[in-house]
Amino acid sequence: MAFDISTLDLDAIERREAAKNKGTALKLVAAIGFALLWIVPFYFLAISIFKSSNEYSRNPPLALPEGLAPFWDNVARAWELGSMGQAMMNSAFYGTVGASLAVFFAAMAAFAITRLDIPFRNGWFILIFAGTVFPFQMYLIPLFFGYQKLGLLNSHMGMLLFYTAICVPFPTLVLRNFMSGLSREMDEAARMDGANEFTVFFRIILPNTIGPMTAVFLLQFTWIWNDMLFSTVLGNRLETRSIMNALLVFQGSYSSIGPNIVLTAALLASLPSIVLFFLLRRHFMQGLQVQQS
Amino acid sequence: MDRAAKDKALLDRIGIDQIARNQRARRRGQLGLGLVFMAPALIMVVGVLLVPVLFNIWLSFTKWRKFTGFGEYAGFANYERMPSNPFFNEALINTAIWVGASVVFPIALGLGMAMFFRNLRGAETFKNIIFIPRILAPTAVGVLWFYVYAPDGLLNRGLGLVSGRDVDIGWLYNDATVTPAIIATFVWQTAGLVMVLLLLGLAAIPKDPIEAAHIDGANRWQIFRYITLPLLMPTLLMVTILSVLAGFTVFDLLWVMGANYPGQRSLALAVFMYFEAFQKGSWAFGSAVAVIIGLVVLCVTWFQTVLQARVDRMTR
Repeated sequence: MAFDISTLDLDAIERREAAKNKGTALKLVAAIGFALLWIVPFYFLAISIFKSSNEYSRNPPLALPEGLAPFWDNVARAWELGSMGQAMMNSAFYGTVGASLAVFFAAMAAFAITRLDIPFRNGWFILIFAGTVFPFQMYLIPLFFGYQKLGLLNSHMGMLLFYTAICVPFPTLVLRNFMSGLSREMDEAARMDGANEFTVFFRIILPNTIGPMTAVFLLQFTWIWNDMLFSTVLGNRLETRSIMNALLVFQGSYSSIGPNIVLTAALLASLPSIVLFFLLRRHFMQGLQVQQS
Repeated sequence: MDRAAKDKALLDRIGIDQIARNQRARRRGQLGLGLVFMAPALIMVVGVLLVPVLFNIWLSFTKWRKFTGFGEYAGFANYERMPSNPFFNEALINTAIWVGASVVFPIALGLGMAMFFRNLRGAETFKNIIFIPRILAPTAVGVLWFYVYAPDGLLNRGLGLVSGRDVDIGWLYNDATVTPAIIATFVWQTAGLVMVLLLLGLAAIPKDPIEAAHIDGANRWQIFRYITLPLLMPTLLMVTILSVLAGFTVFDLLWVMGANYPGQRSLALAVFMYFEAFQKGSWAFGSAVAVIIGLVVLCVTWFQTVLQARVDRMTR
């Protein structure tokens, strides 16, 4: 049967197309409205760090800064008055050493659980993973008291010990899942050739697990960098304070100094995790997917 | 030579006994080796996390307060006096509000935006914008919004500009506004993550049933209600549980933004617990509050495992 073009209701098609376009335009407007709600606080942050204290209180909060010069002054004052150099060094130490140790310990445990012939495989795993079940509030008082008794309170080693421990269980879950998916033929072949388990772990399993290990390392590093609670309880001294705790203290005791400087400090404190996020976006999203399963 | 003896001789030549012995020895050796490999993780988790939890439970049954009563058994006294503490009750109500709000708003908003941005041109840009707050530390988010809500801050001056007269609302100082204000910050911070997780879930939904329904004349609402939503249930369940736990244990934002609020201790259970122990020195009572928080978290986690198993069975 031939197609009769006159049967097509062209007006209706046009109407539908127009409605569709109108819908898209409306959607776009709504989306921009939402995006503005999310951007305005950032915009406020981004311009406030370029204002002097005087300018901040004189001009409307969303007005563009008069010049970019006050920025360096703000940074210098935040850095000095907030002791941010020391705090950044502390957090960098806790974050890199703590997360590395934790991920390495987790990889060792995951290797034993997936590769060695041991009884109660699942039991051992659940024992380690139980470290994620309890809320942080249950650790605070006993750790504070125990650290006091052992002389670990307000020491770098004490902080590092806690951060390492809290970062072990989650990587163990991720690395166990990953390692149980790794082909067993490689390590069986190595064993046939006389390799012992340490060789198998260091020469075969670890090199094949670098990807997920990097992903969980970044997640745990960010966790340690962002932690404020445990630093206020276990290491609330100038010498041991983490960066987020330093920011909290700065905001509390120097609020009279001007929001522009405290906001500059907040941005400085967040800088490493922002840079990490954009450099390693792919790993981060992978970690997110891992976290959800 | 008969058959059995021949087999025996053959097996002896292979050395079957030796192999079995070796295997047994290897198994024994592997347990030791396994413990060596697991030792650092086990020592860390048991010593620094699990033993303190047990210690906390024990402390909650003592009379420890300031410098007295350490190790003196008090029975359930700490738990019994919770209901008569007005700050505890207020903290409990606020925590319930937090749990409700942190489930409803981020999920409604995240789901709405996920459905909305899914087929929009330039959706990547919008998604990234909504996700940005997530990469800031909670402490930094708290500091930023502290100055948004400050008496001469962004919000009051913005409202003043719109209404044409001076607005002077102490958002973080009034009983009526402090919790909603901090919840709004929390929603701003978490909606992006919820949206990304829901988008991952939406992407995993097969296209065929939706197309089939479309051909059968289902409208968009029907497709959403009867196809997308049920298939999204596992993801929604996971996001809901995460939100409940996040709302129940929220601390950083309350500690930073509520720092100048006189009733800070009653903002939530986590803050109340911190305040009782570390500022008042009621160690045993603080431990008891921590145990209550832990019990609720355990119940929620257990509930999730049960539901998850049921959902897995349904989808299989």
